[in-house]
Amino acid sequence: MPGPAPSRITWITSVARLALVVGALVAIGYPIPLQLQGYTYYQTVGFLVLVNAMLGVGWNVIGGWAGQFDFGPQVFFGVGAYTAAVLFVKLGVEAWLGLLAAVVVAAVMCALLTYPLTRLRGHYFAISTVAIWMIAQPIGATWEYIGGSQGLFIPVKPRGGVVDSALSLQFSGPTKAMGYYYAALALFAVTLALMAVVERSKLGYYFRAIRDDQEAAEGIGIDSRLYKVIARSITAAVFAAAGVLYAFWALSVFPEQVLELNWSTLPIMATVVGGIGRLWGPVLGAVILIPISQIMSTTLGTGPLAGRGIDLIVYGLIIVVIAAFRPTGLLSLPWARWFRAGRPATA
Amino acid sequence: MAALLELQSSSKRFGGLLANRDVSLTIEAGEIVGLIGPNGAGKTTLFNCITGYMHPDAGRILFDGTDVTQARPERICRLGVARTWQVVRAFGRMTALDNVVCGALQRTARVAEARSRAVELLEFTGLGGRSDVPAATLTLADKKRLEIARALATRPKLLLLDEAMSGLTPIESADAVTLVRRIHDELGMTICVVEHVMEVVMPLSHRVVVLDYGVKIADGSPQAVVRDEQVIRAYLGERRAAR
Repeated sequence: MPGPAPSRITWITSVARLALVVGALVAIGYPIPLQLQGYTYYQTVGFLVLVNAMLGVGWNVIGGWAGQFDFGPQVFFGVGAYTAAVLFVKLGVEAWLGLLAAVVVAAVMCALLTYPLTRLRGHYFAISTVAIWMIAQPIGATWEYIGGSQGLFIPVKPRGGVVDSALSLQFSGPTKAMGYYYAALALFAVTLALMAVVERSKLGYYFRAIRDDQEAAEGIGIDSRLYKVIARSITAAVFAAAGVLYAFWALSVFPEQVLELNWSTLPIMATVVGGIGRLWGPVLGAVILIPISQIMSTTLGTGPLAGRGIDLIVYGLIIVVIAAFRPTGLLSLPWARWFRAGRPATA
Repeated sequence: MAALLELQSSSKRFGGLLANRDVSLTIEAGEIVGLIGPNGAGKTTLFNCITGYMHPDAGRILFDGTDVTQARPERICRLGVARTWQVVRAFGRMTALDNVVCGALQRTARVAEARSRAVELLEFTGLGGRSDVPAATLTLADKKRLEIARALATRPKLLLLDEAMSGLTPIESADAVTLVRRIHDELGMTICVVEHVMEVVMPLSHRVVVLDYGVKIADGSPQAVVRDEQVIRAYLGERRAAR
């Protein structure tokens, strides 16, 4: 016998809450056994999962809520990485301050670049975001001040202890992977919390209204161009913050690395696989997809099938299967009903 | 006192088609005005010009003393004009409640306040039991009610209903007429209804404006308009009019 609706809703929220607590504990505890056994590689996989989850949560704002297909957010990953690197290398500004600056620079630059694009809709908007990325690449590769195609190298300054490392976002030695893992976890958590606030605010409502029907949204007083710009600037800010983190982890910034297409395709795929338009969708997607690509490229990459790109084939198959059978993503599956079916009837 | 809405010789052309030609009309505060005419008479074009989705090629539109001839839809909404759509445009993936919250956020930035306003309006429009349903799954009649609730949430001074009753069963249509009356009587709203079904508009409207081939051919009380020779000709053809 199905229980009355209100008790079911509270029961679903309690399951979700339990999943959240368990997930948080796993995320916090994950690097410790690896550290004790010296498997730092898997900490780096965790780092990449968190970076891509964070990017996915950011992309979901423009792509999922506002419904505008933005295939060029990696421009702002690069803008963020370069801004912080230039500030650090040339002016000695520490990473966290550089991160704040990078977020502001990327958001403002995105607003200026996106406003004219919002005249375009649908595919045309999507193409224009790609075009901006294509323009950004030669600029990054030829601009002398930021090192051209050589890029910039970020020197590791001597740091005294964990606190100093955390405050300067510079971890090195045997705890490097663990340090960046926790830095990524912190940035991811902040991003997720901020986006949860955005989702429930006026912005979240307006973004979804524009996605569902732009004309109707304008008819109830929503300036569609303004809110599209705001949505994309929020996405850009998240990408910039992740770019800074990545730059300090990689100790270098160069065009082929930070303006790489994967910085948009992986988060977008994670969002689509997990559940587009849902806050936690990209997180689930990143947890599933990133380890697959990382682990498969290392295990298969050294085995007899090395160099055949088998990892990419498997990766592509997963995406095709999900796109074909559940285009709204894994989170949209009827989890509540399944959980309920496995639960003894008490109500 | 100046009229709430005033059109001064508004014209709109699409290529060789003159959709509106020198249309002048006024709507006074507190009125229910019916805008009727055969299919293709230019009613929706007129609505689109008033609400800023199109701009007249000639003429002026004044709302509440402000020239809104070239204004964008969102600005016109903020000034106090809300509309519904001939082909419904609900926010399909959002719940009924969230649809109305979006409208209410026009007058407050606080989501909690917008929600309580939205709950009231869903009750008022008879959608109280459907608030958590995705709008796409509502029936046509409910979607049309939802559009009205969403429009009312923006606290308009003038409500423009584009065929709020077309495509409905006779019972649903009667309910819709009752709702429009209640919006006028209980909320004191000024309303303009576009409709091509005469039987719906006549008993509802205080005044009826008739468009034919983009030109205003009659403007007066429902009783006067139904006897107007030009109107009969437009609706029923030459032979009937000659009798």
